[in-house]
This record gives sequence, C-alpha cells and structure tokens, in this order.
Amino acid sequence: MSVTVTRSNKSSLTIDTPVMPAAGVFGYGDEYRDLIQLEKLGALVTNPVTVSAWSPSSGTRVVPLESGVLVHTGLPNPGLNKVINTYRSMWSRMPIPVVLHLVITNAEEAKRGAARIEEEDSITAVELGIADDLEASEAAKQVAAFVEASEKALIVRLPFGVSADFAEAVIDAGAGAVVLYAPPRGTARDAGGRLVSGRVYSPIVKPLVLRSVGQIVRRVNAPVIGAGGIHSAADARDYLDAGAVAVQVDSLTWINPKMLEIIARDLGGLVITQPLGALPDEWNPGMGETERRRRISDAPTKEDP
Amino acid sequence: MRELILNIERVRRVNETHQHLILSADQALLNLKAGQSLLAHVEGSSAYLREQWFPISISKSEVVVERPADRLYMPATTVHVLSMIGQPFRYRRTLRSVLLIAYNTSPTPLLLSIPALLANQVGVTLVLLGSAASYKTEHIAPEIEVIIGDADFNWANRVTTVGWADQIFITVDPADELASFRKLWALFNQLRNEIPKAYLFGVFQPILPCGVGACGACMIRTKSGTTFACTQGPAFDLTEMHLT
Repeated sequence: MSVTVTRSNKSSLTIDTPVMPAAGVFGYGDEYRDLIQLEKLGALVTNPVTVSAWSPSSGTRVVPLESGVLVHTGLPNPGLNKVINTYRSMWSRMPIPVVLHLVITNAEEAKRGAARIEEEDSITAVELGIADDLEASEAAKQVAAFVEASEKALIVRLPFGVSADFAEAVIDAGAGAVVLYAPPRGTARDAGGRLVSGRVYSPIVKPLVLRSVGQIVRRVNAPVIGAGGIHSAADARDYLDAGAVAVQVDSLTWINPKMLEIIARDLGGLVITQPLGALPDEWNPGMGETERRRRISDAPTKEDP
Repeated sequence: MRELILNIERVRRVNETHQHLILSADQALLNLKAGQSLLAHVEGSSAYLREQWFPISISKSEVVVERPADRLYMPATTVHVLSMIGQPFRYRRTLRSVLLIAYNTSPTPLLLSIPALLANQVGVTLVLLGSAASYKTEHIAPEIEVIIGDADFNWANRVTTVGWADQIFITVDPADELASFRKLWALFNQLRNEIPKAYLFGVFQPILPCGVGACGACMIRTKSGTTFACTQGPAFDLTEMHLT
C-alpha cells in the first residue's frame, strides 16, 4: 500500500507505510537499528539539521512531567555539510526514503540549504522546520526561497497551533505537504528548582493536534501529516480518520521503540498475527530468556487435562 | 542493544535510603560491565520515561539493581529494559588502588565494579561527600575502606587517599552535574600538580529519554567536540571535558 504524502510538484514523496518517526526523536539513521526494523517504517525523518553547526544548550535539558516530558536540547548538530558527509553512505543504503529535517531561520539560509541538499541523491525529501514565532508571510518567503533552489519534495512542519491561513500560505509558497504540528513549547521546574523551557511531548498533545488536523485538512489543497501525542495504533488511526495522509510518532519511540514498528506494521496493512505453532521467542524476538522459559512452561502440554 | 523483559522477583530494603530489586536473570545481561546500565520501564508505573538502573551485582541466577527507597516496586512485576546502555568503566590494566567518590548522590553507579576490583587485588576506597554521607554501607564488602567526608570536599587522609589512587571515579548529583564536576576538578588541581589522562573520571547521569544517541538530550561537550552520555558514557575523562 503506497501513499503519496506530498503534492505532485516538481517531485513527490511516496512511502509504503504511512508511519514515520518525527524529527528529533530518531537520530540520523541507524541509532535504532537493533530495536526497530527500519524497512517497516514509511520514511526516516532525521534529527533537525541547521545550515551551520549548533551547540547543545546549557543547563537542564530534560524535565520529566506528570504524563510526558519537556525537552530542550538546543538542536545540537554539526551543520548541514558535515551531517551529509557523515551519513550520505548510510542513507544511500537505507531501505526507506530519507527525509532530512532542515531548520532555517531566514530565507537566505533556506536557499543555501536547498542548494546543498539538491546535490544529494541520498536525500529523498526535505522537511522544513520554521521558527515558532514567525508570521505567515515570512514563513511563506522562506518556503518560496527553498522551492526556488531545490527540486526535492518539500514538507513543512508548522509551529504548534498555527491557523489554516498559515498552512495555506506555506502551501501556496510551494510546500508539498504540511506536518501538524511541531511539539508545543512549555516551561517546567527541573529537579534543582530552575525553570526550564522546551518542547513538550505527551499523550495530551494528541487531542489538541487532532482537532486542528480535522479543521485544516478541509481548508488546504495539500496532504497533511499528523504528529503529536501518538502512543498507540489507535491514536495513529485517529489522525488518518481525521484526514491526515500519514503520521509521525514522537516520544513513544523513546519510551517504547518497538511500538513505532508495531504501529507502522498495523497502518501499513501488515498487522502481525502469530503463526500457528510459533515459539514464544519467534513471536517476540526481544523477549528475555526468563520470560521465554516462563511462557514455555505456562503453555498447555499434552499432559495437561 | 536489546529490549528484554525481566521480572522483579524480590524487593529487599538494604538501608534507610535504598532498596535492592532482585531481577530474573537474562543471558544477555551476563556481559554487562561496571558503568553500563539499563533503561527500565516497570509495567503499571506512571513514570513516562524509562528509569536508568545501575546493576550492582549480576550472576547467572539474578541481577540486583539498587534503587531509592522512596520508589515503590512490587515483586512479580514485569520490567521492560533496554540493555546495555553505555560503555564500561575504563580501568587501567595495572591497577593497585582505586578511589571512588560519591558527592551529593548515592554511589550506586560505582558499586558493580567492586567485586571484580577486589578479585583482582585492587584496593578500593569509597568516599561519601555531602548528602552521600547518609548512605549506609553495611551491605558493601567489608574489604572496602569507606570514608565519610563533608560537603566542602574535606575527608580524613585526603592527601594520602588521592596520592595512592591510580584512578578516581566520581559520581555527583545529576541535578547539578557540571557545577559539581567543576568544583571537584578545581579540588584535584589543588591536590595534584598535574592531572594525567585516564586518571580522573566523572560519571555523568543526565536523564536519558532514548538511551541510543537519538534524542540529543544527553549530549555533552568535550574538548574535541561533543559526545553522548548514553552511548559513550557514563564515565568521561575529566581532562577531556568542557565543564562550562
């Protein structure tokens, strides 16, 4: 089941499964190789990359919340050139399309980034991350600057809570699809009593985004990708039911990596069923030895009445 | 890296502040070395992120993890763990004496190495500073010299213990990690003319959302760039770190 998740523009992005990790949760490629079968995902969305190198933020980066987590990393990355040079070879061997998440702060950066990415065959599409406090007109300028310099399929991740007018503006400027939304920003006290601001990841985000997806899908003439608060296959299906063409899974990947693959298998029409007679460790490859023995000993035997 | 499912078989209170969880063993954990940890999610727990668990003893029959006593763990509970997180401590091959220091936190991340060090005839001194002084050590092997110090880094025979140590491993309160390591760095610069490489290690314990180097939340600055506490840590040579 293939899904085209961007408008047919200069080029488009088609994926086999409408499930992908959100930018910032999955690294640059193979960090989760031991825990997730990458080929089951629709695409790889990289960690945010900036045109120049960015350093990690100082101070507290993670504040656990009642039902979620606040994270402020400062988007550390070695810069677009170095990221491409480091991961090009791995991306070329990836069984799924690579979507590079490019963070830009102005139109000039968008143009420079686009020109650099355009040379790279290993990158299938770009997801543009724009600043939270941007006016729609400025966001549109940045998108237009990128589109002018690149033929790559372009997705734009919108700041949390922006209106349909904002989405329309970036789509009119050339975005092939929009992601609703970047995680919301919040502030919380860390263990040392200091106030820390950052992005909030929580199941509570889902109902907020889901409402916007339902509203914005009806207004725009480009595919919408739902992102925020997905913690089960049912959550992901809710986004598709609301009109999204695909979903991005964020912090669930950290707390239960296998669930990302399970959701991808589910929505990709590959719902797993246990083969008749399969041993427990075949059914669940990550199972520990103790658990495997326990399940085998629990299984009914011929001697059981 | 593997995801394992373990069971909490017993919970044993070892002192006023800590408890030991005796977990079912898993073959995959037998290779876990001192310094490496588990990222655990206890079924039924309301904690959103996985907790970083440092085993203090591993055998073919059980894995023992030390946790604060104010957390509630029940026997017969299932635990999903990501294993193994991080790299082993880099002990020198010709080691005669090791100094382990806990400042304002429990020495838990340092304890797994003790049996192996003792078996190799290495002298081990454990210094508990600041709030770590309240950590009761009755369950620790009697061969270990335990010294209680104060929050200003004063302890009995400080010059001698530092002078004898071939290597020093320090764990501090994760809530104030860099500031604490800066203070300790300044102290050891006073105590020694020169701090050689692979001598003074800081054990970093930031909260780890992912544990695989994907989220970037545990990135720390070194003199040659950046690195991840989750995949390359927890112990880093303080001569190579940017502590600002």
